[in-house]
Amino acid sequence: MSNVKIGDSLKRFEDQRFLTGRGRYVDDINLDGQTRAVVVRSPYAHATIRSIDTAAALAMEGVLLVVTRDDWQREGFKPMPTKSAVKTNADGTPLKEPPRHALAIDRVRYVGEPVALVVAETLSQAQAAAEAVEVDYDELPAVVDPVQALAPGAPQLWDGIPNNLCIDFELGDKAGTDKAFAEADHVVSLDILNNRVTAVPIETRGCVAAHDAGSDRYTLWNASQNVHANRDTFAEVLNIAKEQLDHIAPDVGGGFGAKNSGYPEPVLCLYAARRLGRPVKWINSRSESFLSDTHGRGQTSRVELALTRDGRFLALRTSTVGGIGAYAWTVGPFTPTGGSARTQGGPYHFPAMHYRGRAVFINTAPMDPYRGAGRPEATFQTERIVEYAARTLGFDPVELRRKNLMPPEMLPHKTPMGLDVDSGDFPLLFEETLKMADKADLAALRAKAEGAGRKFGFAIAPYLECTGGGPKEHAGVVFNKDGSIELAVGTSSTGMGHETALAQILAANLGVDVDRIKFRQADTTATPLGGGHGGSRGMEVGGNAVKQAADEIVELAKPVAARLLQSETEEVEFADGQFQAGASSVSMNDVIEASLDSDKLPDGMEPGCLDHSSVFERGVISIPNGVHAAAVEVDPETGVVGFLGYWVMDDFGKIINPMLADGQVMGGVAQGIGQALLEDIVYDPDTGQLVTGSLMDYGLPHADEIPNMEIGYYEGAPTKKNPLGVKGAGEAGCVGACPAAVNAVLDALKDYGVTHIDMPLTPMKVWKAIRAGGKHDPHGLLGDAA
Amino acid sequence: MEDFTYSRPASLSDAVAVHGNADDAMYMAGGQTLIPVLKQGLAMPTDVIDLGAVWQLDGIAVSGGTVTIGAMTRHAVVAASNDVGRAIPALATLAGGIGDAQVRNRGTIGGSLANNDPSADYPAAVLGLNATVVTDRRELAAGGYFDGMFATSLEPGEIITAVKFPVPEKAGYAKFPNPASRYALVGVFVAKTASGVRVAATGAGQDGVFRVTVLEDALNDDFRAAPLRDVTIPEDNLMTDMHADAAYRAHLIGVMTARAVARANGRD
Ligand SMILES: Cc1cc2nc3c(=O)[nH]c(=O)nc-3n(C[C@H](O)[C@H](O)[C@H](O)COP(=O)(O)OP(=O)(O)OC[C@H]3O[C@@H](n4cnc5c(N)ncnc54)[C@H](O)[C@@H]3O)c2cc1C
Repeated sequence: MSNVKIGDSLKRFEDQRFLTGRGRYVDDINLDGQTRAVVVRSPYAHATIRSIDTAAALAMEGVLLVVTRDDWQREGFKPMPTKSAVKTNADGTPLKEPPRHALAIDRVRYVGEPVALVVAETLSQAQAAAEAVEVDYDELPAVVDPVQALAPGAPQLWDGIPNNLCIDFELGDKAGTDKAFAEADHVVSLDILNNRVTAVPIETRGCVAAHDAGSDRYTLWNASQNVHANRDTFAEVLNIAKEQLDHIAPDVGGGFGAKNSGYPEPVLCLYAARRLGRPVKWINSRSESFLSDTHGRGQTSRVELALTRDGRFLALRTSTVGGIGAYAWTVGPFTPTGGSARTQGGPYHFPAMHYRGRAVFINTAPMDPYRGAGRPEATFQTERIVEYAARTLGFDPVELRRKNLMPPEMLPHKTPMGLDVDSGDFPLLFEETLKMADKADLAALRAKAEGAGRKFGFAIAPYLECTGGGPKEHAGVVFNKDGSIELAVGTSSTGMGHETALAQILAANLGVDVDRIKFRQADTTATPLGGGHGGSRGMEVGGNAVKQAADEIVELAKPVAARLLQSETEEVEFADGQFQAGASSVSMNDVIEASLDSDKLPDGMEPGCLDHSSVFERGVISIPNGVHAAAVEVDPETGVVGFLGYWVMDDFGKIINPMLADGQVMGGVAQGIGQALLEDIVYDPDTGQLVTGSLMDYGLPHADEIPNMEIGYYEGAPTKKNPLGVKGAGEAGCVGACPAAVNAVLDALKDYGVTHIDMPLTPMKVWKAIRAGGKHDPHGLLGDAA
Repeated sequence: MEDFTYSRPASLSDAVAVHGNADDAMYMAGGQTLIPVLKQGLAMPTDVIDLGAVWQLDGIAVSGGTVTIGAMTRHAVVAASNDVGRAIPALATLAGGIGDAQVRNRGTIGGSLANNDPSADYPAAVLGLNATVVTDRRELAAGGYFDGMFATSLEPGEIITAVKFPVPEKAGYAKFPNPASRYALVGVFVAKTASGVRVAATGAGQDGVFRVTVLEDALNDDFRAAPLRDVTIPEDNLMTDMHADAAYRAHLIGVMTARAVARANGRD
C-alpha cells in the first residue's frame, strides 16, 4: 500500500528547494561562453521607423551583435501565428491577423515593442549599447482605448483593417433573446469595465538560448508555461524542424498566463545564439515586464438582463469590446470572444442568451490569457448585472439569486452558450456558503463596523467555470534499479505543486510510496507532447494522464504478478498496492522489483517491461463551480475598503490534495481582490505611454489587505467526464473574487445611492462615488458603440 | 550600473575630504534610494562615499527638551527607541510606518531628508515640529531647509549630521498610504507647542512638504478634531496623479489632520 492516498494534504516536495533558495530558475542557468542580450524597445506607442543605425552600438566595447529588422527580412523568418480557438467572425469571414514579427519591421505599434536585440559580453555592455542604437521614428497618432479605436476617425493601426477590428464574434440565440427582452416585465442595462491588469509573476520572463552548429540543434531554457506549443511556434518562425529545438522550462516563478505565449525575445535569442555560436542569456527587468508582458482583462461591456415581474431571469445579453493590443497575439482574440462567452449566465437558468464580442487592435502591450481568460469576465458581467437588477428593481440580492439557480434536477444541461453542465448542486453550495458566513455573525460584524463610523456591506457571488487549454497530456513512467520511479509529464508547474500532486496520484494508484517518485516536467526532451499550464488543466488533463498510465502499468504488471503468485494473469486482481490471486498476494513493490530481474519474469518479458507512457485526451471540458461571499467595511471619510470576512464553497469534483487546492483558491482570491480594489494598467490616452510602469504605481495587493478565507469543498457531485472525477481548481479563485468584492462594497454604499463603480475600487473612486450620490450614467462607457 | 570608486571613511572630516577630491561624488546612507537610482542610470557618480562608518552620525539623545537624532539612524531604531517614544511618541509612530521592515532596517533619517521625496514621511515631522537640520557646516531651520520636490538648501558636499526636534506639548501623525507604493499619499503631522500649533502636510503639495495655515488657525482656536470638519482646504498647488487628484488630496488633508489631532489628544 502507498503511504499516501488521494485526498491527503501532502506537503509540497518542491518547497524545501524553493524556500531555501535552491530553486533553479532561468537566471540560475549560466553556460560556458555565455553572452548577454538586451532588447531595444520602442519609446513610442505608434510610429514609422525611418531608419535604424547600429554602427555606434557595434563599435562599443564588448558588443558582439545587433539584430534588427534587416536580419529578419534577409533570413525570411516567419511571423508568429495566433492560436486563438475562435477565428471566425459572426458573418463567417476569418478574423484579421496582421503579421506579428519578433522585431518591428516598418512601424512600431506599442511602447515597449522590440525593435532590436543587442548582444554583448556583459549585461552592462549590452545595456549601454542598447542606448546607442539610433532609431529614427516618425510619430503617428495612437489610440489605447478599444471603444475609441472602433470609432470613426480613430487612428488606424493596420492598413487594410478598418476600424481596428480584429474579430466580431457572436454566440447564442439573437432572435430569441431579443424577443425575451421585448416581452419582459423588467429590463436592466449597465456598462461595466473589466480593468486591464498584468500578472506580475515574481520571476520575470527570461531565457538562455544555445545552438550546436555540429548537429544544428538548439536548446532553449525559458521561463515558459507552455514549452511544447512555444517550441512549435519558435521552430515555425525560424524555419527549422521542431525536433531541432529542445525547449526546457526549469523552475518557473509564477506565470498566471503571462508566460503562456510565444514571445519575441526567446526567438531573437535563439537566432543570436546561432549567429554567434555562443549561448545568449536574456532576463527581462521588472520595468520592462510592465511594458512587454502580456496583459489581461481590459473589456468594456454592456450587459442587459430581462426578468419577469417576480424576478425570474428570462434572458441575458452582453456586448463586449476588448482591446487586444497591436497584434493578434497567441490567444489574444479568443479572450473577449469565445473565452468570455462560454460561462455567461453562470449557474443560473437562462432560457435565452446572446453574446457579442469584438476584439480590437489598440496601441498597447499585447493581451493574452490572464488567470481565467474570459471566465472571470463572464462571471463579473453576470454577477454585476444581477446585483444591479436587485438594487435598482428592489429585489433582495440573495433571494433573487436563490430563485434563479439551476436546480440539480436540471442537470445535465446545455446552456444557451453551448456549455455542457453535467454535475453539481448549485443551491446546496449557495446555502452552505451563507451558513458559513452566518456562523461568523454578520450582524455583529455590521454593528462593530457601524460603531466605528464605517459602512458594512455583504455580497454573495456564485460562479460557473470551465476548464480549457490543450486537450492532450502525456505521462511517462520509468522504474529504476535503485528503486526510484521517474514520472515525466507534459504539464508545467509554475509553482502550484504538480511535483507533489501528480506524484501523489501515481503513488496512490500504483500503491507505492510517494517518496520513490522523481518528477520531471516541462521539457520537450522528456515528454513527446504536452499541453503546458493553462485553463485549470493540470489535474484534469495531466492528473488523468498519470492515472491512466498507472492503471495501464497495473495491467502490464499482472503477468509478472501471476508468475510470482504461480497463478494465471486472468486470475490476478489488484487493489491497494496488492496483487491477489486466490488466497495469496504479492505487493506492487515486489512486482516492480521482479520486473527488473530477468530471472523472475515470465517468458517473453524483458527487464523494464513496466516502463510505460500514456497519452490522455480530454473529451469534454469540465465545469468547476462554487460560491464566494465577502463582508467588507468602507470608511466613508476616505473611501478605504477593508475585509471583515471571506467565504468560499467550491465544487472542483474530487480533491487530490486539499492543501494545494486551498493554495490555489487563496492565491486566486488575492488576485481577484487585487483587480477589484487596486490593480490597473493605465496608458496615457493621448501619448500611449504606460503610466503604471512600476510597482510604485501599479498596486499589487499586500498580505495585510487579503482577508482570511474560510474554504469548503463539495465532493458530492464528481464529474464523469474524466476518470479522476476532477473539475479543475486553478483559476476559480479569481473568477469569484471580483464580483464578491465589488458587490459587497456597493452594498456598503447603498445608503448613498451608489449603484455602480468601475474597478478598481480605489479609495479615491469610492470617495468620489459617495460624493456623487446616485448620479451615474449606466451607458457612459459604450454609448452608441454597444 | 556604471563603475564607481567606493569608499567608507571613518570620520566626518574624511568623508568631506573624499568628496572634495572626487570629480562627482555622492554620499550613501542606507542606499534605499541611491542604489535604485544608480541601477537605473539616473545618476552616474565617479565616487560613492558610504557614511555607514562615520561615528559622528549615529545615536539618539534627549536633553533639555530636545530630541537629537543622528543622520545615520535607521527608521527601525527611531521607531523602537524608548527615548523618542517617551518624548515625541508621534515621531516614533511615524518612523514605524515608513516602508516595510527591510526598508526601515536600512533607510535613515539623513538620507530621507537629503532626498526630500515629496511623499516621504519625515519631512512632515521636521516641518511640523520646527526641527533644526544640523550639517557639517551649519544649522538650518526646517522652514529654510526644504526647497521644493527633491530639492533642499544643502550645498554640494554638505553632510547632514543630525536633526534636532524640540519636544512639543503634544503631537500626532496620520498617514494615508498610496495604495500602490505605500509612501504618503497624504501625511499630516500636527504639533501643539508653546508658540502655537503647526500643521505640516507631506505627499500632497506640488512643492513638497508645506504648512497648512487654515488648519493651524482653526486648531489655535480649538485643538480638537471635530471642528475641523468645517474647514475647507484650498486645492491650489496640490498634486494630481492617478491615485489622487487635488480635490481628494485636499479632502484627505482635512481627514488626516483630524486623525492626527485625535491621536495627539490621546483619542485614537
Ligand atoms: C520599498 C521602499 C519603500 C519606501 N517607503 C517609504 C515610505 O513609506 N515613507 C518614506 O518616507 N520613505 C519611504 N522610503 C524611503 C526610505 O525610507 C529612505 O528614507 C530613503 O530611500 C533614503 O534612503 P537612505 O537613507 O538609505 O539614503 P540613500 O539612498 O543612501 O541616500 C539618499 C540620498 O541622500 C543623500 N544622503 C544620504 N545621507 C546623507 C547625509 N547624511 N547628508 C547628506 N546627504 C545624504 C545621498 O547622497 C542620496 O542622494 C521607501 C523606500 C523604499 C525602497
